Amino acid sequence: MKHLILIVTLLITSIVATAQTKYEQGMHKALDLWKTNPIEASQLFERIAKAEPDNWLPPYYAAETLILDGFSKMQDADALKAQLDQAQNFLNDATAISKDNPEIMVMQAILYTVYVASDGATYGMTLSGKVMSLYAQAEKLAPNNPRVVLNKADWNIGGARYFGTDIKPFCKEVERALELFATFKPETEFHPNWGRERAQEIITSCK
Amino acid sequence: MKNTILIFSFLCSLSLSAQTISGIVTDAKNNPIVQANVYLEGTYDGGTTNAKGAFSFKTEETGTQNLLVSFVGFETYTMLGDISYMKDLKIQLREDVNSLDTVVLSAGTFSAGDNSKVNALKPLDVVTTASALGDFVGALQTLPGTTTVAEDGRLFVRGGEAEETQIFIDGIKVFTPYSPTTNNTPTRGRYSPFLFDGITFSTGGYSAEYGQALSSVLLLNTTGEPDQEKTNIGIMTLGASLGNTQKWKNNSLSVNASYINLAPYNAVFKSRNDWKKPAEVASGEAVFRQKTNNGMLKLYTAFEATNFELTQEDIHASEGVHFKLKNSNLYFNGSYKGMLSDSWTLETGMSYTLANDKINIDAAGIKDTENSFHAKVKLKHRFNNRFKLNFGAEYLATDFNENYQDTFTPKVAYGFNNNISAAFTEADIFFSRKLALKAGLRLEHSALFDEVTLSPRVSMAYKTSNKSQVSLAYGDFYQNPNSSILKFEQDLQAQQTSHYILNYQYNGKKQLFRAEAYYKDYDQLVKYDSDFASFDSNYNNKGYGFAKGIDLFWRDSNSIKNVDYWVSYSFLDSERNYQNYSKSAQPNFANTHNLSVVGKYWIDKWKSQVGMSYALASGRTYTNPNTTGFLDQKTKAYNSLSLNWAYLISPQKILYLSVNNALGFKNVNGYQFANTPDSNGNFASRSLRPATDQFFFVGFFWTISEKGTDNQLDNL
Repeated sequence: MKHLILIVTLLITSIVATAQTKYEQGMHKALDLWKTNPIEASQLFERIAKAEPDNWLPPYYAAETLILDGFSKMQDADALKAQLDQAQNFLNDATAISKDNPEIMVMQAILYTVYVASDGATYGMTLSGKVMSLYAQAEKLAPNNPRVVLNKADWNIGGARYFGTDIKPFCKEVERALELFATFKPETEFHPNWGRERAQEIITSCK
Repeated sequence: MKNTILIFSFLCSLSLSAQTISGIVTDAKNNPIVQANVYLEGTYDGGTTNAKGAFSFKTEETGTQNLLVSFVGFETYTMLGDISYMKDLKIQLREDVNSLDTVVLSAGTFSAGDNSKVNALKPLDVVTTASALGDFVGALQTLPGTTTVAEDGRLFVRGGEAEETQIFIDGIKVFTPYSPTTNNTPTRGRYSPFLFDGITFSTGGYSAEYGQALSSVLLLNTTGEPDQEKTNIGIMTLGASLGNTQKWKNNSLSVNASYINLAPYNAVFKSRNDWKKPAEVASGEAVFRQKTNNGMLKLYTAFEATNFELTQEDIHASEGVHFKLKNSNLYFNGSYKGMLSDSWTLETGMSYTLANDKINIDAAGIKDTENSFHAKVKLKHRFNNRFKLNFGAEYLATDFNENYQDTFTPKVAYGFNNNISAAFTEADIFFSRKLALKAGLRLEHSALFDEVTLSPRVSMAYKTSNKSQVSLAYGDFYQNPNSSILKFEQDLQAQQTSHYILNYQYNGKKQLFRAEAYYKDYDQLVKYDSDFASFDSNYNNKGYGFAKGIDLFWRDSNSIKNVDYWVSYSFLDSERNYQNYSKSAQPNFANTHNLSVVGKYWIDKWKSQVGMSYALASGRTYTNPNTTGFLDQKTKAYNSLSLNWAYLISPQKILYLSVNNALGFKNVNGYQFANTPDSNGNFASRSLRPATDQFFFVGFFWTISEKGTDNQLDNL
C-alpha cells in the first residue's frame, strides 16, 4: 500500500508538473515553429491564447508573427489587410488583458508602420500621427524600455532621412537603446526580448 | 500488487494515451482550404491544414470536446462531440460575408475615406486636386455624373438642378451648405475638408434613409478621435486661418477660425466685377467629441458671416446693377452613435440652422430668415452576418420668412413652413459572398401639402469574378419644391423622380474602373407662367422630364511609378419641361459631354507633389430671341486646365501654389439678352463670363504639435 501511495503521489505530481510546463512547452514549440512557418506559429500562439485567457503574451506573439510576416506581403494589398486585421484582433485581445503595456503599444505602432510602408498615399497621413502618439505614450510609461527607445528612434530616422534633416540625435537614441538592452532583464523567458540585432544594424547604417 | 498495477495502468492511460484527430477541410465547392487552424477549444492541441486541406494531430484529451476550425474569410466551424469520433472528419466551412472580397452594394455610389471597401477618392484627394482649391465640392466635380456649371460651383448631378443634391453631416441634414457669392463666381462648401474623414457621394439609387433629394446625396462623416494636440496656422493670399486641437482622456475639442478678404487680390488681379466692397468672409467652427462606454457623441457648430457690395454688368442697365449682400449662417449638429448590445446599434442626432440674408438690388431691399431643424433616430439590428435590418424616423422643419421693399412697393412679408415627418426601414441581405440585396421603403408626410408619399428603394449586386461585379438599383424619390417657389405658392405637391441604374465595376490592383448607365424619369415638376417665379405667377405641378446617360470612371495609381491619375467621362441626354419652359428642352445646366482628367505626380527628390486637372465640357444651351427656337443654341465648349504644386519644406511646413485655368481659356457660361429689340429689330446680347478667367493661390501652412509629425497636407 505504501508503494501505491508513493506511485500515485509521484504520478499526480508528475501530471501537475507536466501541466505547469505545458505552457512552456507550447511556447517553445511555437517559437521554434516561427523560424520555419510563421502562419502555423501564429495559429499555435492563437491556441495557447485561447487556453490561457489571462496571459497577454500568447496573443502578443500571435500578432507579432503575422505583423512581421506582413512585410513580405506588401505587394498584395488584400492579403495584407486580411492578415493585419487578424493581427489587430490579437493585439486588441492582448490590450484587453494587459492595459497600458508599452510592449503592446510598440507592436501596435509597428503594425501601423507596415500599413504606411505598404501604401504611403492611403495610410501615411492617417496613421503617422497614431504611430508617434503610441511611441510618446509608451515612452511616458517606460522611458527606459529598450524597444520603446529603439523603435521610436527607428521611425524618426526614417522621417529624418526622408526630409534630409539630421539623423544624429536619433542615432544617439539607438546607442542608448543598445546600452539599455545590455541591462534589460525580461520578466520571464517568454517576455519580449527582441531588438538588439536591429539596434546594431541601425548603428552601422548611422555611420 | 495486482491492484497497484491496475491503478497504475489506469492512471497511465489517463495521462499518456493520445488519440489522433484527423480530417479534411474544404469550402462549399469541395476545394481544399489550406492553412486553416484546427484545434480543441481551451487546449493547446491542434494543427494546420496542408495543401490538400488535410489535418491530423494528437491529443491527450478525452471525452466530449469542442473542435474549432477557423480560417480568414470563413465562418468559424464548431463541432461538439466525443474525441473518439473525431477521425477522418469532412468539414465544410461556410464563407463569411463580412470578409474583404464580398460583393459591395455600390450602384450609384462613390466613396472616399478609410470607411469603405471601394474608394474612388482618397481623403487627401479633396485637398490635392488642382482644380478643387481645398473645397470638397470642387473635388467631387471631377467625378462622373456631375455637369460643369462653372459660374455656380454647386453639384449638378445627372441632369438635376443643384437643389436636388442634399448634403448630410454624420447623417444629419445641412440646410444651407454653400457660401453666397456673386452670380459670376463659383460658390464653395462652407465646411473645411479636414474635419471629415469619410465622404460618400451617391449619384443615384441611394438608401431609404435619405429623403427630400431628387438626384443625389453627399454624406460627410466628421473625424473620430484626433491623434494629438496641435495648432495649425495658415497664411494665404486671400486671408488667414488658425486652428487648435485639445485632447483629454475621453474627449477632445477642435476649433478653427478663418478670415478671407478678396480686396488685396482684386487690387492686383483684374476682375470683371466693379467692386465697392470685395467679398469678406469670417468663419469659425468647433467640434467636440466625447467617448462614452459604447459609443461617441459629437457636437459640431459652424458660424459664417459674409458680405460684399458691387456693381454688376447687366444688359438691361447700362450703368450696371448695384448689388449688396450680407449673410450670416449658424449651423449646429449633434449626433450620437453607439452600440446598445452586440447586435443593436443606435444612431441619433439633430441639427439646427439659422440663416439670415440682407440683399439690396438697386432700390429693392430683400431680407430673409430661415430657421431649420432636423431630428433623426435610427436603429440597426444585426440578426447575423447575412441579415441586417435598419429602421428609423425623422422630422424636418423649415420656417422661411422674407421681406421685400422697393421705391414703388411698400414692405411686404411672406414665407412658409415646410415640415416633413418620415419613417424608413431597410434590410441588407447577403445570400452569399457573391450576391447581395438591399431593399427599403420610405414613408413621408408633408404637413404643408398634407400629402403622403411612399418610396421603395432596391439595389442588388452580383460578383462576376474576383475583381468585378454588376449591380442594379431602382428607387423612387420625392422632394418638395425649394424656397424660391414655396415662398410664393404653397398649394403644390412634392416633385418626383425614379432612378434605374445598371453598374459594372472592376477593382484591380490599385486600379478602379466603373461604368454606369442610368435612366431618370421626372414627374410633378413645378411650372409657372411668368418670366420669374413671383407673387402673381400661376403655379402647377404639371412639369416633367427625363435624364439618361452613361458615366465612366477609371483610376490608376499602379501603372506609372509615383503617378496617380483618374479620368471621368459623362454622357448626358436630358430634357425637361418645367418652370416657365414653353416646351420640353435641354436645360442650360445639363451639358451633354463632360470630361475630367486629374493627375498627380510625386517627386520624391523635391518633396513635392505636382498636380494637374483638366476639364472639358460641351456647350450649354440658351435661348436667342433673335431666332425662333427655345433653348436651342449652344455656347462654345468649356475648357480649363489647373495646375498645383505642394512643397513639403519640413514635415510641418508646406508651401502650396495653384493656378486655375492656367492656359487662360476664354470661357463663356451663357448669354443675356435685352428684353426689347433695338431700332434694327435686333435683341442686344452680353456674354456671361467668369469674374476672373484665371485664379492664383499661394498659401503657407504650418502645424505645431508636441510630437512634431502632423502636417497640413490634408489641410490644403
